Amino acid sequence: MSVADYAARNRFRLGSAVALVAIAVLAVALLDVPLGDIVTIGFVERSLRAATPIALAAIGGLYAEKSGVFNIGLEGFMIFGAANAAAAVWLIGGDSATQGDLWLAILAAVAISLVYAAIFAVLLIRYEADQIVAGLAVWFLGLGFGPFTAVIIWGNRNSPGLVGIDALTVPGLAGIPVLGPILFNTSPLVMLTAVLAVAAWVVLYRTKYGYWIQAAGENPEALDTAGVNVTRVRYAAVIFSGAMAGLGGAVLLAHAGSFTGTGDTMVNGRGWIGIVAYLFGNYNPVGAAAAALLFGGLDMLQIQFQTAGIDLPNRLVNLFPYAAVIVVLTVWGSTRMPSAVGETYESEE
Amino acid sequence: MSDSDSGRARGVLDRAAAGMLEASVLQRLAIATASTVAALAVGLLVVAAAGYDPAVFLRNVFEGAFGDSNAIARTLKFTSIFVLTGVSVAIAFRAGVFNIGVQGQFVVGGFATVISILWFAPMLPEGAVGGVALMVLGTLAAIVAGGAYAAFPGALKAYAGANEIITTIMLNFIAVGVVGFLVEGPFRGEGQRAPNTDRIPEYVELPQLVYDVPDFSILGLVVALVVVAVVAVVMARTGFGYDMVTSGHQEAAATYSGVDAKRTIVKTMTFSGMVAGVAGAVFAIMMQGYYSDPGGVATYGFDAIAVSLLAANNPLGVVPAGLLFGGLDSAGTHMRINSDVPVQLIDGIVGLVVLFVAAPELFRMAAERTGLGGEKR
Repeated sequence: MSVADYAARNRFRLGSAVALVAIAVLAVALLDVPLGDIVTIGFVERSLRAATPIALAAIGGLYAEKSGVFNIGLEGFMIFGAANAAAAVWLIGGDSATQGDLWLAILAAVAISLVYAAIFAVLLIRYEADQIVAGLAVWFLGLGFGPFTAVIIWGNRNSPGLVGIDALTVPGLAGIPVLGPILFNTSPLVMLTAVLAVAAWVVLYRTKYGYWIQAAGENPEALDTAGVNVTRVRYAAVIFSGAMAGLGGAVLLAHAGSFTGTGDTMVNGRGWIGIVAYLFGNYNPVGAAAAALLFGGLDMLQIQFQTAGIDLPNRLVNLFPYAAVIVVLTVWGSTRMPSAVGETYESEE
Repeated sequence: MSDSDSGRARGVLDRAAAGMLEASVLQRLAIATASTVAALAVGLLVVAAAGYDPAVFLRNVFEGAFGDSNAIARTLKFTSIFVLTGVSVAIAFRAGVFNIGVQGQFVVGGFATVISILWFAPMLPEGAVGGVALMVLGTLAAIVAGGAYAAFPGALKAYAGANEIITTIMLNFIAVGVVGFLVEGPFRGEGQRAPNTDRIPEYVELPQLVYDVPDFSILGLVVALVVVAVVAVVMARTGFGYDMVTSGHQEAAATYSGVDAKRTIVKTMTFSGMVAGVAGAVFAIMMQGYYSDPGGVATYGFDAIAVSLLAANNPLGVVPAGLLFGGLDSAGTHMRINSDVPVQLIDGIVGLVVLFVAAPELFRMAAERTGLGGEKR
């Protein structure tokens, strides 16, 4: 891609972003929307909470894709993460689980996700499974075995109330106006996600491991020539992506406080939205997290509409994130993928 | 048996296995069978690990699928729908377009059927003639609605580069949400406690010819098989079908020979959605007789992805694959009442089938490892 190309594309992006904002402002002005009632501190805090699972899955997914493997199974790994975290917290602490039990359960869910992702990686890389079909299979497996686990344990696809994560109040800092309640008196998992996003950015763009991952996706031959095992880099990236999606599912559970296995389960498309979040964030971990925040905000609009007295049926307001995904994909659809995505690489030794 | 004898037998076996791995159709059949068997085997392991008796589970599956005429009617009922949704998926996958939105198109189509039948019913005479006319109108409405709902993501893919896997999944959520909202409110039948539309008139139904069950007529299966035949002919014998398949497999070649790849994508999606619409119409007329909250409607459009993949996306192969899934679903219904094994296991087994179908190399390597297939590959 030439520099001129890149500029043109960015101008297009910028232009459409400005257009979106203009439309939003116009809508607010024309429809007399009480903006102050909608964008509140509570709303921002809730949006951040809602964004964390999506952001975690997105960061994992972009690592896999950067390395040249399309992990379309994020949604499935999230379902497993949520179901396993719920099962673990129940097995550890029963109906009186503590915060410590919850953290342990999150760790356990991530550990199980690591195992699943390793099997998935072997199928994709060693057995050259069709990446799209295998990814869909993970989703199907999650939709089946996630609720199956719940029925085995609780006799119902939904769990009873388990334990939700307590807000972490940082003394002193929590008193800062606006920023205090948003960042220092909220779920510690929000801060954890922010730290992970920045760390993922640093690793990807500032360390040799990050360069290996990028090279594995862009130019595997060159990486191979440089003496780095492309297959091993891809294994690491895919396993990492599954673990991150599992963590995302576990975080979703920790925020909700109980498992829902009816319909499309409590994950309900968040893994798919995660994929769109990293496309929107142009494969940049921090950008992906920001995009996740957009979808998290749309997800939480319903509460704001209710308190602001805007009378729209819940059922329709709940669809905003999905509609936004379609808009984003349509406007930003032609994101540049790493050039070797989806191709198996065989070293010529 | 002497050494040379066993050697010869081995040679025959090797050649047979090698030939099977080469022959495309046989190979695919072998992969499909192996995938199904492997998925069931893992399913049985899970059953055992969860503390149930695998033998009892297996017996329940067979009884539920083919145990008596009721079970068979139920299996064929689900089969009719799976064949239709499976063909819908196969059309798109064959052409290299991943229409994961068959569920949404199926929902939108079925809803359109019920609404149009309710709307036209007062204008037409009651009785058999009116019934047939309403069914035709309802099915046409489903075809239009399903086709349009699929053409939209097709156009977004063709002209804006929006990944159809994700847009169609989002459109599934949107279809369920919007239709759910409509049956809850604006289109709710008068005096309906549950969020349902009114019932379509009694005389709008397929006649009971073979099985005397309220929600299945053999004509439903006939409709499905006719659609399969039409799709198979279109795919294999018409210029449109040829363009679709070539642009799916060799885009450059298709473009070079003057096929408009973008229009082909939109047409493929539309065709796929139209068939999904027919599935929705058959479901609405034959099985339900009204439309309910689609959040509670079974996921025929999702499982159809597994049906189609198992059939190697071949319209004719969808028939046996649809029968297998019809049987599994029927067994699930049976198990819900007669067994304490959670029926969600059936969904899990569907996932396993898809996983194994995705990795045929697994079976090739296994065949090599065990010596079957000789030194081939």
